[in-house]
Amino acid sequence: MQTTRKWYKAFWLLAIVCLLTGCWDREELEDKAYVIGLGLDRSQHEGKIIVTMLLANPEVGSMQGGGGSTEKPREIISFNANDFIAAKGTANAIISRKISYDLLKIIVVSEDFAKEKDFIAMISDVLKDKEIRLNSYLAVSKEKAKVYFKKNHPKMETRPHKYFQYMVEHGVDNGLIPDSTLFRFFTAYERGTDLFLAMNTSAEVGKNPNVKGEDEYQAGQVGATGELDDTQFIGAAVFKKGVMIGKLTGQETRIVNILDDTTNIKDVLIDIPDPFSGEKKQFAARIMKTEDNKVKMNLKGLKPEIFITVPVKIEIMSNPSMVDYTKKKNQQILKKQISKHIKKVNDDLFKKSQTQLKGVPFPLALYARKYFGTIPEYKKFNWDKSFLNADIKVNSDIEIVDFGKTTKKH
Amino acid sequence: MKKRLFNTFFNELNKTPPYNERSNESEIQLKEQDISTQYEQNLTTFKSIFSYPQNTDIKVREFTIRSLNRRGFIIFISTMVDSKSIQETIVEKLIENQVPSGNISDIISYPMERTAANIGEITEYICGGVTALFIDGDSQCYIFETTEVRGRGIEKTDNEIIVKGAKESFNERVADNIGLLRKKIKNENLIVESKVISKRSRNDVFLVYEKDLVNNELLQKIKERLDSIDSDKILDLSILEQHLEERPRSLFPTILYTERPDRAASYIEEGHIILLMSNSPSCLIMPATFWSLIHSPEDHYLRTPYGNFIRILRFAALFVAVFTSSLYIAITNYHVGMIPPDLLMAIAGTRERVPFPSIIEILMMEMAFELIREAGLRVPSPIGPTIGIVGALILGQAAVQANIISPIVIIVIALSGLSSFIISDISMNFAIRLARFLFILVAGFLGIYGATAFFMAALFYLVSLKSFGVPYFAPMTPHSISSKDLIVRHVPFKERFRPGYLKPKDLVRQRKG
Amino acid sequence: MSQQSGKLGIREYVSIAILMVGMKPTGDLPTALYSMVQGAGWMIPLISAGIFFIPLFLLVKTMMLYQNQNLFSIIQKLLGKYIGSIVCLIIFIISSSIISIDTRTYTNIIRTFYFTTTPNVIIYSILMLVCAYGAKKGIQHIGSAAYLVVYYAVLSLTIALILSFQDSNIQGIFPFWGPGKLEILKSASKNLYIFLDFFLFAMLIPYFQSTKDFRKGTWVAYICVCIQISAAVLVFISLFDTSLSGIGYPFHIEIRYISLGSYLPNVEIFFFVIWIMGAFIRFTAFLYINVQMFCHIFKIKDYEYLIPALATLYLLIGSISETPFDVSLIIKPIITNIVGPSFTLISIILWLTAWLKGEFKHANNKEMV
Repeated sequence: MQTTRKWYKAFWLLAIVCLLTGCWDREELEDKAYVIGLGLDRSQHEGKIIVTMLLANPEVGSMQGGGGSTEKPREIISFNANDFIAAKGTANAIISRKISYDLLKIIVVSEDFAKEKDFIAMISDVLKDKEIRLNSYLAVSKEKAKVYFKKNHPKMETRPHKYFQYMVEHGVDNGLIPDSTLFRFFTAYERGTDLFLAMNTSAEVGKNPNVKGEDEYQAGQVGATGELDDTQFIGAAVFKKGVMIGKLTGQETRIVNILDDTTNIKDVLIDIPDPFSGEKKQFAARIMKTEDNKVKMNLKGLKPEIFITVPVKIEIMSNPSMVDYTKKKNQQILKKQISKHIKKVNDDLFKKSQTQLKGVPFPLALYARKYFGTIPEYKKFNWDKSFLNADIKVNSDIEIVDFGKTTKKH
Repeated sequence: MKKRLFNTFFNELNKTPPYNERSNESEIQLKEQDISTQYEQNLTTFKSIFSYPQNTDIKVREFTIRSLNRRGFIIFISTMVDSKSIQETIVEKLIENQVPSGNISDIISYPMERTAANIGEITEYICGGVTALFIDGDSQCYIFETTEVRGRGIEKTDNEIIVKGAKESFNERVADNIGLLRKKIKNENLIVESKVISKRSRNDVFLVYEKDLVNNELLQKIKERLDSIDSDKILDLSILEQHLEERPRSLFPTILYTERPDRAASYIEEGHIILLMSNSPSCLIMPATFWSLIHSPEDHYLRTPYGNFIRILRFAALFVAVFTSSLYIAITNYHVGMIPPDLLMAIAGTRERVPFPSIIEILMMEMAFELIREAGLRVPSPIGPTIGIVGALILGQAAVQANIISPIVIIVIALSGLSSFIISDISMNFAIRLARFLFILVAGFLGIYGATAFFMAALFYLVSLKSFGVPYFAPMTPHSISSKDLIVRHVPFKERFRPGYLKPKDLVRQRKG
Repeated sequence: MSQQSGKLGIREYVSIAILMVGMKPTGDLPTALYSMVQGAGWMIPLISAGIFFIPLFLLVKTMMLYQNQNLFSIIQKLLGKYIGSIVCLIIFIISSSIISIDTRTYTNIIRTFYFTTTPNVIIYSILMLVCAYGAKKGIQHIGSAAYLVVYYAVLSLTIALILSFQDSNIQGIFPFWGPGKLEILKSASKNLYIFLDFFLFAMLIPYFQSTKDFRKGTWVAYICVCIQISAAVLVFISLFDTSLSGIGYPFHIEIRYISLGSYLPNVEIFFFVIWIMGAFIRFTAFLYINVQMFCHIFKIKDYEYLIPALATLYLLIGSISETPFDVSLIIKPIITNIVGPSFTLISIILWLTAWLKGEFKHANNKEMV
């Protein structure tokens, strides 16, 4: 008994010694510099990239009262590096704190770098890093990423993490940009059967933006004036097997988002040509998608047939030709028009994807899998080729929920 | 070799100083004898035993009993007896009675009378506030239970405050305490057994239980434990508690200590055993499980939904009290990604100017909180409230403004401190507060992994704890029949069983229908 | 010692079983299954359970013959002293190697995902220390702790799976038959090791109130566990789809990915805590069983003193290989391939000997009398 007690004491002494040497991973959170945005560009030097880091200053905007500090809310550094993991060390030559990707929200890649073949090798480092989470977003900028971050000057959200959080969240809700998390990027890449859409952004407004329909813009084309930040998030960049091959406008992105059941868009405001004014005017409608699409396929014949039914609920928001919506006849016309419109835009999209993009921008191939018993059969079918000459028919199942606030003529 | 080194090292540290004991053999021998019939001899014996007249409150009164025409004396301790009734019913009667009669009980009108012959026994009685009457020529001494101990009346509970339900509490007079229990359980099966447990000060303990419920093995076990106590004095129930526990060094209590007679009564009704002791305004309930230490009587007095609400609140508070500080340390030091970006920025922004690592910060504030708490208890009550204000407001606010503490730490500490007040059992409360410090240290050492490892070790320890053979988490695990009054409780009429882990003689409280 | 008295209740046993077997999909099991049969991976646990049912049924039936005797004493009784001892030794060595490999795997997971710069040996020794302490407390107390933890473990696993369901696509499990029906059957027979713990639980029989409890508990746990594993694998397949083959530990990738709304974006620590609690219980019970085996083979009575020694031994064995890849890619497949068939064989042989010896008839006669 006596000896065991002594050994206990000795054990505790040892434990305390252990405690003193311990704390391997311990780091005070104010010792870190948090990277919110990461920019990747091709460098002029062979095999190197330019890494841009957008660092948030925790002192700005977080103090309630007590007079904020006069420091800037962010810091941006760009430099040449071999990859963005080891760049954390290099950055310490400039930044006083330890660089951390814990709060990384968005990775912005310039268009020309995204189009290169070794882009996928570079971005795959994300999977190796232990701080980056796969729910960070991937975006493609028209200009160089380092220019993009420099030009981006949000007026209302001085704290960068808040700006990107709100911007992306609401863009995805509206359907104008795709929900392009890194997770989706890598699953799409591994699957290999469908294209991946990354959000398109730009901080440079084109010289002569021509006015188009409500959402037929790409990033940098929306002509807005006033006292504002030039950064725009609209449209999508299309990746095929990890390489960027093209772009979609905001409208096309929306359609893809509606067709894609794996993203959850809330409700979308769109303009539809008004049937009562000979399609000269347009009426506004809110599209709500609460149910999943019904996809049926007939893959037996030479020409595969794919039937997609999109169930949507629609709320009419405006009445440009002052028609009485209470009449059953007018309602019928409206319904027909909407279904015609949806069919048209979808047909356009699939035409583009079959001819231009040569792939489908959402995981449609998944639906095809259940028509095969085993993997060898499915492989033999070869989705990539079969899709190109498939006959795709999109129908919509429309339910008009509401005709706006007033049911009267005016 | 190493062992010897350790041995000599530790032996150096723990040397017991030698001391010489004075023998009291002659006194012990004296006490074993019987009293003599000689009046004078008895008088001198007892005067020497009680160091009369050096001992001022020992009163010896000599007189002649007229009716018997013999000499006699009474001896008593004036501070422990009802002097007035001694005067009226014993002394006056003995002196004034004229009618010749051989029987003392016919002369004296004081009700309770007994005789004793052993000197040791008589001494014991006199110490307990009894009046002893010695009559010349009698080989017996007459004992009158004239005890009257001064003490408080029955007051409101101080430590286990409830809103709804009985408010009276135990006091220092054990007769009152037993009365309070009898008042609640009017059943002839309620047994009050007494036992003397210490040698020198001869403190007695009362076991209270219901004969037709309690498990005999359990009762035997507790009695054995009481008998095995080898101590010259146990002045208070709380010291007895430490003698009784299986693991007196353990952080967690295994005996329930309460000052509420209603609570004690409800445990007696379930088949538990209650210990009472004179001079202690409380009782011990045995065996006690984790659940009984966490529950409060109010859980049952309130209507079912309200009772369950405060009970769930208490469980939440338990977790908050133990884990918030350590979780804060673990997350801010090891798992920064867990914190929502806004909060992270806010914490980082305010911590920038704080000179200490966050673990020091937390430990400092925890200590400060414990200081405030302890100081608040000890200060004389007129200035008590000031301490609270000084502590909470000035210290917190000033520490933040002086950049010693970041504001979030104040919130964390306040939350965990406040939650710890919700656990009303004193021992459990301490256990939780101490466990909190341990968790802070391990979380500082190895983040959430360290804290979880420590928690698992603690869980293994807790499930292996036993209170008089009853596992700590019974009846949840190991499972036994009970009325399932653990985390949430049923409506009272559904609670049909007494706890099965006690193996009561009658398990079913009320039959169906 | 009064601490050792008390028996293992059925609830406690089922909780241990669920934590030991049901938490397997949080390791590298889904990846292994996916790389074998792709989308049909979720079927494997069900089919394996079906196959393993036969030896397990025979084993339980044999065990029922002898009340309150553990697996090893029955093996020695039926197969004779020498052959029996050799078989016991083989079982002990296999399960020892499994515990050292699995603890090493878990250490790797903790290190790679949560404590990147902490030395492996520290994480590993804390794991073993806690397990040794728990095992020292005895199986009843391990059971009690398991019962207190199991609800939270299953609940958190379910929440994690439900949260990830938003981002997953059930179509991922198609084509239904994966690489073909025959292939599935083949890999199902290879994966019998998933349920090997049930075989080892027969070591615990003397600690049950009655052998009937063991039978009942085994079947309840068996059904729960195979549903649980299958559901978890199903969710991982539909979440990760083809990328599952490249992910080492999908559960940990998944809990880092899921979020509770944009205001509480990262919740992995909550799941990690409960996962690691389950892991502690799992290895504690495993260690305890191994110690029991050791004691039985070498006829040692005081098992308590043996636990720290065996725990240290497993720690040392587990630390031999340098990289995590060695463990999961080279050594593990070898062992898993051996385990299933050999344990199946042992249980069938046991039953056969018992049958040939006429023990069943004997038991029937006894009942008649």
